[in-house]
Amino acid sequence: MNRKRYKQLRIAVALFVSVIVSLAVTNHSYLLSLIGVLTGMVFMALVRSKAQIKVDEREATIQEKAARMTYAIFAPTIGIGTFILLIPSYGGLSVFANGEFAYLESLGMVFAYLTLFLIAIYAISYHFFNRKFGGGGNEE
Amino acid sequence: MKNKIKIYRAMQNLTQDQLAEKIGVSRQTVNAIESNKYLPSLGLALKVAKLFKASVEDVFVYDGNKDENNNS
Repeated sequence: MNRKRYKQLRIAVALFVSVIVSLAVTNHSYLLSLIGVLTGMVFMALVRSKAQIKVDEREATIQEKAARMTYAIFAPTIGIGTFILLIPSYGGLSVFANGEFAYLESLGMVFAYLTLFLIAIYAISYHFFNRKFGGGGNEE
Repeated sequence: MKNKIKIYRAMQNLTQDQLAEKIGVSRQTVNAIESNKYLPSLGLALKVAKLFKASVEDVFVYDGNKDENNNS
């Protein structure tokens, strides 16, 4: 199986999964969506192992840069979002006093944990790769 | 960094696709290296040089320019 065929199959699986998930959402069947997604994942894993797709170094460089840019944009955005959502409820503004916008505080808390989770994953993976590629102590 | 991959490829009658197959990368990667849009790793540069039976310095010429891969 060549790269082109692999890409075609990947698009077909993505279409299949999106159709199943949309059907599941319209029918309020969460089990169906779960089954659809899991089937798609298993099928993709099988296709990938059969195709023996290698990621070449240019693609890896592109992925690294894209991941770095995603982190650089997403982390500050979500951090500032958290700040904006949490400040009014702790700032004692009268409009928030009777709990009308309580959901904003909850959303802010979710964002805050998400930000921390993102930073934690980055720090852990940075530490891991730093050690893997020879950093992290005992350099003389 | 400049390179003479296109010349060496022509000398050996290889298409970008064939060269890509031989060095284990995609055709787009060979094209990007040839057009100086992507700087290959040391391993890949050595592989290319070995395939053309030349030294790395013959195939890749350092001209003191900024690393292409870091241009953002």
